[in-house]
Amino acid sequence: MIADHLFFTCINILLAWSVYVSLLTGSLSFAQGAFMAVGCYASGYFTAKMGMPMLPATGLAAVIAAVIAALVGYPALRLRGIYLILATLGLTFCIRVLLENMDFLGGIGGFGGMKGGDLPKAAMAVAVIGLLLWLLSISPLQRVFDAVREDDRVAAALGINVTAIRLVGFSAGAAIASVAGMLYGHYMSFVRPENFDVTLSIYVVLYMVLGGVNNLYGSILGAAIMTLLPEYIRFLADWRPTVFGASVLLLLLFRPDGLLSYRPVTALARHGRSNVRKVA
Amino acid sequence: MLAGQIVNGLVSGAMYALVAIGFTLIIGVLDKLNFTHPEVFMFGGYVGLVALPHMPVAGAFLMAFVVGGLLGVMTEWVAFRRFLGNDARTTAALSSLALGLILTDLVHKVWGTEPLRLPPLQGWMSESFGLLGVNFLNLQMVLLAVMFALMWGLHHVIAHTRMGRQIRAVAESSAHAALLGVNVLRVNQAVFFISSGLASIAGLMLALRADTVSPDLGLTFGLKALAVMAIGGMGDMRGAVLAGLGIGVLEALMFHFGLGRLGELTVWAAMILTLLLKPAGLFASGHHAQEQRV
Repeated sequence: MIADHLFFTCINILLAWSVYVSLLTGSLSFAQGAFMAVGCYASGYFTAKMGMPMLPATGLAAVIAAVIAALVGYPALRLRGIYLILATLGLTFCIRVLLENMDFLGGIGGFGGMKGGDLPKAAMAVAVIGLLLWLLSISPLQRVFDAVREDDRVAAALGINVTAIRLVGFSAGAAIASVAGMLYGHYMSFVRPENFDVTLSIYVVLYMVLGGVNNLYGSILGAAIMTLLPEYIRFLADWRPTVFGASVLLLLLFRPDGLLSYRPVTALARHGRSNVRKVA
Repeated sequence: MLAGQIVNGLVSGAMYALVAIGFTLIIGVLDKLNFTHPEVFMFGGYVGLVALPHMPVAGAFLMAFVVGGLLGVMTEWVAFRRFLGNDARTTAALSSLALGLILTDLVHKVWGTEPLRLPPLQGWMSESFGLLGVNFLNLQMVLLAVMFALMWGLHHVIAHTRMGRQIRAVAESSAHAALLGVNVLRVNQAVFFISSGLASIAGLMLALRADTVSPDLGLTFGLKALAVMAIGGMGDMRGAVLAGLGIGVLEALMFHFGLGRLGELTVWAAMILTLLLKPAGLFASGHHAQEQRV
């Protein structure tokens, strides 16, 4: 029992991190469920149908998800504002319909036969990806990401290729989500396209928001709270969407950066600037 | 048969258009996505479920408009008032999403997760008539007429009234409008009331046509209207209407020619194509579209 819950906590942490990475460059993605489906089906096809070992299958699936993300993200990421939200929502629905119509992947009936996913592998994935993200957070690339997120015009003026940086963040998020999908598929050993609904993508984004959008550890906290608490508190399980929605709403109203937010200099600068804009 | 399918498509296209107009009005005024909007649309059907046994259809429409509008004003208060800056786009999208989640869950708790049947319509609305060998349902004609009346009325309000002038001024620049004495908060509330009221009416119409109400409609039908809005061009009402009708007919035709399994795909694929080829939308005009390039 507890192993099950911890396994799903690991998956949700990975998914929350995948949103975190793409939000690092300022793009909010509602397609993590779709990328998870891509990772799950692709790696499942490689291991169950072609007999590949798990690790290279995961790598290939991650590459496939990242390429899809880059292809869909490119037109939307050239634009400012809410276009990426729209494109990712579209991707979620498109991938689901495509999976339902691909008969060699089981179509609407589902796809099975994967095995071998367990808690140690999930914990290892969390550790490896966490380490990579931590290395990112102390590397110069993090500062480039920050610049693109805080003000893309200034970043472009500094010679940063804004579109390319956003594509890197978005594709990295897709790759992480596909790893989570691979673990999920090999643990459940049977998946159907409706497992990767748009609600999943929405929940994943809110996990990360609950924990805090500007640091690595918030995603762990948000995903752990929202996965583990409902398993042990009956009331929370019954009223899950309401409690979840209300806590996210209250958090956004009173602590806009999340539960575990420390305020970096850029956040202070952002507040200063928005005051200026109100006058201008 | 084909003509009947096209009329069907026009009816659902007009529903897309009504919801998409709501999205586009809020994008025009605040430059924010309102993710509570699809759920208000879904809630319109439940207003009908409660109201229809007690009053005529016209009364139910009025009630859906008022209840939806009040929900919209509440949305503005809860999820948008604190997040007005240009940097708060993402935050506003998330807070309205959270509010929509709560609304859906409350509907689940009150009416259950399964679709419910509406009380059947009586009288001439449930009949049909034949014209040129094609059978038309009276209900469909009424729905089409109501929708075009609403769109014309909205156009009149925006183009010729004081409030409409203020809405256009805020859409162009809220700071300048405020300097000229426009009460921006009041305008925002009016826009939320109108857009959510229209969405709620569209939800009631969908419920009347399908005879059922379902809590899942927000995230399926309602979100499609978002794509319709993007195809038509953000902040552009004419684009939302034309794109809505076009997508509705296209879906009906795909269904007619046996591609129904891919029907869900149509609107989203069309949206991604539009973003690829003409990112501002097919009919986008004016300043809003030009500001979005990086």
